[in-house]
Amino acid sequence: MSDSEHEKAHVDPDHLPVWDDPKEAIYHRVTVDLDKCDGCKLCVVVCPANVLELFGPKDNLKARVKIDFSGCMSCNNCYAVCAGQGISASEPYDFAGFYEQKRIGKFEFPRKF
Amino acid sequence: MSDVLTERELEDLECELEKADTKSGRIARRRTAIHDVEEGADWNEVEHTILTRRSIRKFKGRQVPAHMIRRILEMARFAPSQGNCQPWSFVVVRDKEMIAEMEQYCVAVCKNMTATIDYTNYPPGSEKRAAIQANTEKLNRASPNAFHPVPMTAIKSIANGRFAVFHRAPTVILILVDKRGVGVPEVDIGVAGTNIVLGAQSLGLGTCWVGFSRLLSSNAALMERLAVAPPFEISEAICVGYPIGNPTQQAVSRQTHQIVWWEGGEKRILF
Repeated sequence: MSDSEHEKAHVDPDHLPVWDDPKEAIYHRVTVDLDKCDGCKLCVVVCPANVLELFGPKDNLKARVKIDFSGCMSCNNCYAVCAGQGISASEPYDFAGFYEQKRIGKFEFPRKF
Repeated sequence: MSDVLTERELEDLECELEKADTKSGRIARRRTAIHDVEEGADWNEVEHTILTRRSIRKFKGRQVPAHMIRRILEMARFAPSQGNCQPWSFVVVRDKEMIAEMEQYCVAVCKNMTATIDYTNYPPGSEKRAAIQANTEKLNRASPNAFHPVPMTAIKSIANGRFAVFHRAPTVILILVDKRGVGVPEVDIGVAGTNIVLGAQSLGLGTCWVGFSRLLSSNAALMERLAVAPPFEISEAICVGYPIGNPTQQAVSRQTHQIVWWEGGEKRILF
């Protein structure tokens, strides 16, 4: 991962992650496409982790991720309710050590086989 | 004669069923539904229901008609279970006051828990933090699932009022498990609950599993009013209501998972 915020600490496989260390408890933040966002606030309302907020002038509100976004489970409820497909999560959450995600691949929409 | 059918006998049996098709409309319907789909075919209705289901945590205020709740509970009744033991029983709560009382109790429990396990309330290096962290890690080793970092974050959010346990849903279904069930009864609860969730989804209702409902078990007075008593205990809850927004308009992307595929004497890894 190039984004230093999402860098994972190198620790013992049995190590219990420290909850407030962003290198050990890696919650994923969603990406907002500001051109597509119309500030309707639905994503802010439905987010189970309560990590989204609106910002900007009243006549041009946009969604963004709060500074403290711990708890984002990459559930993509924000994407599901967004009529303009302007917001989405594309990485799973992860932990360093004992709770590290294993045997997973990249995000995919439902695939038809 | 062996009571295990040979391949030839099985084929004969299928032929007999084909003949029966013409006699019985019921079987004909079942058999016409069984056919191989073409590669890349569109989703059928069941697949579409599964793919567009979301966990709904924000509901409209409107109550769900009672007959619709009965209807989705009927789906649970026909779920598969180990040894057909059907180790479940349901408590349906549709009174705002009762749900509020359940909510308040869970919030109080979470508040108590954060005081003894949430070391993030104290600065790194402090004595208090080290003491709480040692306690948390002990619990973590003993119950790695209950003390997984994700529910821990949720407990903190519940304690500070950022997250409602029962999501202010108009109806809450508590699923009780009969602890004497065959094999692993909790798995059967998961299967029955999935029937509830998908049945509800197909009717345009939103649902969310609430594992924290188990916290209610330590409130004897509430347990008595909800008629939860041994050998039954609360396993899970499912909130039901009308979702806010239109969360089923599109399927979402999700991570893929490793599939080991053994075929033709060869092992492949797929995702």
